[in-house]
Amino acid sequence: MEMKTRVAGDVNILEISGRFDTNTVPPVAAWLEQVTSAPKSRVLVNLAETTFVDSTALATLVQGLKRCQQVQGDLCVCSLRRPVYMIFELTRLDKAFNIFVDEEHALQSLKS
Amino acid sequence: MSLQHPEVIRLDLPARYAYLHILSDCIADMLRQIDGVEDHEMLTYNMQLAAHEACTNIVGHAYDGAQNGDERIIISLSLFPQPRRLEIELHDTGKPFNPEVVPAPSLEQAQIHGYGLFLMRNLMDTVTYTSQTGDNYWCLVKNL
Repeated sequence: MEMKTRVAGDVNILEISGRFDTNTVPPVAAWLEQVTSAPKSRVLVNLAETTFVDSTALATLVQGLKRCQQVQGDLCVCSLRRPVYMIFELTRLDKAFNIFVDEEHALQSLKS
Repeated sequence: MSLQHPEVIRLDLPARYAYLHILSDCIADMLRQIDGVEDHEMLTYNMQLAAHEACTNIVGHAYDGAQNGDERIIISLSLFPQPRRLEIELHDTGKPFNPEVVPAPSLEQAQIHGYGLFLMRNLMDTVTYTSQTGDNYWCLVKNL
């Protein structure tokens, strides 16, 4: 797994490549904890290059979302591959997260 | 390729998260042997995820607190031609587990725990678990 972070305006963006699972979650969880501590934190997790997401990774994203909501911020995800999107649907997390087809649409929503 | 005989892969992995990608690779390679599957990409992903969740349960719960460092997961992947199905068997020697007492996650609200067993049960046709002294056994079956 490789993670890249950057900032666009006031949105913290995380790109995850490869497997996002129990083995690779710790640096993502640490980053999310750090960026979601600020008031009105806006976070975008780009999963375009994420090939595998397990239940621990889902839980990590849910934790990030809840932390964002506590500080009146938001966490969105974008560019999910089809099998990953199906797992969001199966767990109904597609209802909990704002999911966008690509980064452009996600940023439009987060910045508005 | 149409399968004439059962195809079997056996793995004996250290019970560590770092090695679980090997299991995913084997499942993908095994399922590449068959044709006539409606959605190969989804099937492969779902089988990889179900098997991975069983393994993370073993590492995180059965072997939680284990000190030896030589804990293993013994895995058998079998692709049967008639009726065509994938069977994933896993053995561990850790603490036994009672899947019946694990509550299903509330799907009305996002959860931080509890999706692992839910995913296994929803992605496979049957999921069974038995525990005898020193041998815990998961069997996951998907009809193809």
